[in-house]
Amino acid sequence: MILITINGKKIELDGPVTIFEAARRNGIDIPSLCHHPALELWGGCRMCLVEIEKMPRLQTSCTVKAADGMAVYTETPRVVAARKAMLEFLLINHPLQCPTCDKAGECALQDLTVRYGAVAGRFEEGKRTFPENVDDPVIVRNMERCIMCTRCVRMCDGVQGAFAIGVVGRGAGSHVEPFSGGRYNCEYCGNCLNVCPVGAIMSRLHRYTYRPWQMDKTVKTICSFCGVGCTILLEVRGDAIQKVSPAFGKGVNNGLLCGRGMFGYGYAGSPERLKTPLVRKDGKLVPASWDEALALAARRLLEVKAQHGGRAIAGIAGGRCTNEENYAFQKFMRAGLGSNNIDSTARLGLLHAQDLLEGIFGQGAAANVIRGIPHSDAVLVVACDPTRTNPVMGLQVRAASKAGKKVVAIGHAPGLKRHMTHHLSAAFGHEGIALAGLLRELLRQKKALPGENPEFEAAIMGFSELPSPEEVRRLAGVPEAALTQAAEALKDVSTSSIIAGRELAASMDAKRNFMLLAAIGYVLNSRFFLVSEHPNEQGLIDMGCTPDMLPGGRPLALQTFRERCEHEWGARLDPEPGLTLMEMFEQAGGAIRAMYIMGENPAFNLPGRKKIKEALEKKLDFLVVQDIFLTETASLADVVLPSKAWSEKEGTYTNLEKRIQKLAQATGKNHEAGMEDWRILALIGRLAGLGNMPYASASDIIDEIARVSPLHAGLRYEDLEEDGMMWPYKGKPLRMSGGMQPLPAAKAAATLDRREEDTGQTGPALVIEKPLFHSGSLSRHSGALLDIMGGPEAKMAPGTAAGLGICEGGSVKISTAEGEMVLKAKLEKGLPAGAIFAGNNFGDAGALGLFGYELEPGSKTPVPRAEGLEITPL
Amino acid sequence: MTEPQPFSPKSVALLEEIRKKYPTGRAALMPALYVAQEEFGWLRPEALKAVAEFLGLPEMTVRSTATFYSMYRHRKAGRNVIRLCTNVSCMVLGAGTLKGVLGNVYGLAPGGTSPDGRFSLEVADCIGACGKGPAMIVNDDLHTGLDAKKILEVLENYK
Repeated sequence: MILITINGKKIELDGPVTIFEAARRNGIDIPSLCHHPALELWGGCRMCLVEIEKMPRLQTSCTVKAADGMAVYTETPRVVAARKAMLEFLLINHPLQCPTCDKAGECALQDLTVRYGAVAGRFEEGKRTFPENVDDPVIVRNMERCIMCTRCVRMCDGVQGAFAIGVVGRGAGSHVEPFSGGRYNCEYCGNCLNVCPVGAIMSRLHRYTYRPWQMDKTVKTICSFCGVGCTILLEVRGDAIQKVSPAFGKGVNNGLLCGRGMFGYGYAGSPERLKTPLVRKDGKLVPASWDEALALAARRLLEVKAQHGGRAIAGIAGGRCTNEENYAFQKFMRAGLGSNNIDSTARLGLLHAQDLLEGIFGQGAAANVIRGIPHSDAVLVVACDPTRTNPVMGLQVRAASKAGKKVVAIGHAPGLKRHMTHHLSAAFGHEGIALAGLLRELLRQKKALPGENPEFEAAIMGFSELPSPEEVRRLAGVPEAALTQAAEALKDVSTSSIIAGRELAASMDAKRNFMLLAAIGYVLNSRFFLVSEHPNEQGLIDMGCTPDMLPGGRPLALQTFRERCEHEWGARLDPEPGLTLMEMFEQAGGAIRAMYIMGENPAFNLPGRKKIKEALEKKLDFLVVQDIFLTETASLADVVLPSKAWSEKEGTYTNLEKRIQKLAQATGKNHEAGMEDWRILALIGRLAGLGNMPYASASDIIDEIARVSPLHAGLRYEDLEEDGMMWPYKGKPLRMSGGMQPLPAAKAAATLDRREEDTGQTGPALVIEKPLFHSGSLSRHSGALLDIMGGPEAKMAPGTAAGLGICEGGSVKISTAEGEMVLKAKLEKGLPAGAIFAGNNFGDAGALGLFGYELEPGSKTPVPRAEGLEITPL
Repeated sequence: MTEPQPFSPKSVALLEEIRKKYPTGRAALMPALYVAQEEFGWLRPEALKAVAEFLGLPEMTVRSTATFYSMYRHRKAGRNVIRLCTNVSCMVLGAGTLKGVLGNVYGLAPGGTSPDGRFSLEVADCIGACGKGPAMIVNDDLHTGLDAKKILEVLENYK
């Protein structure tokens, strides 16, 4: 116990904290410009100076730790005089542009000048000047306003780990800028401008459009881009989002954001949004009234059902829709239409990954806390780059690295280049071999296994033919020394985190891969994280948007659960599982006659695009699409129903930690054009006499979910405040009995089929790039993200390009059996040799369209294949 | 396949030596910058990038450090760099006159480069030759006891 007094007030402290922190906790305000709770201590601005008894000089309260018996005074005449002097110095150079500065009204310097500032400065020197820098599409710098608190640089180096900006020059000439001096070309997280106390670094998105005090409201909600589920604040004026702000101290992200979350919100207000329902007349989509469109959808669905039966209808749910919407969707399909043909893009990997992991460790195996990652002794990143797919989770890996923890990456992870201690650079699709080699080395180097589960350990020891480092080098291209050193680094850790990508599951070797991952996880005492591209991808699974599972992850095959749903929904359920995602398209025109697609764009987001488009366009009798944009899929539909964007509705998302969090309606109160997806379903259900959906709000649906899903039993919408609620919410998880069983059975699967896995041939390989600045096909409607990255490109290492005769900026034709496209080449050092990276984000250049697929037999996960790949410079 | 190496073999050898002497890339940064400056003439962006790449440091870290110090050249320099001392001893012994001479003869202003690119002039603060002033360093050579005539004779040897 530490006892101190601040301004005579007695304060007890449990442990050593700074005086600044002790004061803050007790409601005593000490001013500061450079201190920020998310950043390393610095003590540079001298505004937090305080007087401490028995210490001759004033002390910076943000760096001095409180010690027992200290008597601190925060507002003595001496302290006030010092602060006044500091402000006078700062104002020598700080221009008095407050009338035209966007920061005015929320500027720390302005506020402090009001509080302590001198009436007039005594210096006659001219002010230093820097031209306003607008070289960058989203960030503007006014360096004459900079007070050199270095918050932005400490954020960029210490937290974001991007090292994109720094202090340049010295003395009065010093200022902050990126290496180029102009455009940032950085990760565009925007965290620098979020910590700038003055108007030196600001967002260009809302430049000169409003004053902070003109904002109507600030709404706390969840970001709509990826599966991390960051808490964000939407600043709203009128019916428009003016900006996204961080919420330091809150949420999974503790105020940190990524470029998509920070600058990507523009899509919600895009003029390209659907404004009315559309129906197809004479082959063309034309605007229609809601009544007309809903009636048509209801009538045609009923007709198909009457003619071919419910099983002839298939539904695809959306990873950007809320839990409530996805729940309503599967209920509409199952109870209303009588079809279990329900699936989603979780089929592309997440679902299979989760099934495999939960099959070994039991349900909820990947329900772990992202903010715990830096507290593990080691982080193992496999076949993914969390800094791109789930950027704020990536920051936790970087934080682990900064804290001196071991970070081992298997496969391509460019965002961790500077942050990993060991890199096992396995060729694409060969990460499993590196895993097998790593397991072998761990078993060889470790003195003993944990001993917690003898059966499991027997299974692990029974893995035969794990490859030697030499074989791993030959088969996967990982240098022997890297492998043995990584094992050496990992072997003695007491806790670890494993972050795995969906590519590990979208593989013919998925079972083997996860068996190995689980074995390593067991040996290293790991918590698992599965990267997730959409904000509610987990919710799709939890809400039963799969052909064989009911809400709560309960198997359709189990009669008790089926009866529970039947009772609640008032309808008989088909006990036979439905078709999976790719099967639906394969059987279009045959077993499948109609489709209902909610918030998903399969005509663009799936491999085998040609066939899918053909199925949607020609083979179906009827197609309904609910979306906010006229996507590639919507443009093929018979009825298009506009829905609400994420900022316009209430509901919940479940993130990759299995944390359920609440959205809040910020805009779109009077958005006549779009309706919540669940509301559209309920209306069609009512018109068609299908399903029983008497909902007035998202909260009503949560209540029903809590009655149906054992996982959500007892959950109430009102309970979801602050940081949401972690799995298993209030309900009971379904534990697989004897969760460790599958390993011995799959012993054979762990061995390697050496015939096919020789990477000796290194022709070019096409890899789907997951860019940091785009998210599926949604972000092409965000102006700011387009300004950062405006179009598709084919990225490759200079050596690869030279070998193919391609030069920087030149056009490259990429063709496969599925099709061809022409992209601009971009050369980037450090990319794996032979790999050509192309994204699946932009209209006519979605690289996934070049991939066919093959189904993994057990899970029906499509494994993308680029057959007959040819790369030619034009 | 290999990228073109920005440093000459001689510089690479020097850099390898430097790297061996220091525990971290960051610690080796300042001496490495001198090598780059020698190689590239001045610390232009390519030089900073090359150092960053060689030492495995972020480019921005290298630029921040480099721009903090005035001993590095941040502008293009002439073929020969004159560092003329103007500190107390040299000033008293006539360094001011020499500065004028360089201006008249070669068109050199402090911090500038002669129009023909032959000389750059840096005004130095004490080069440790106070006993024999006025003094200057041209490239790596120290010249002392200068006067208006001798300085021109000396500089004639630098083309």
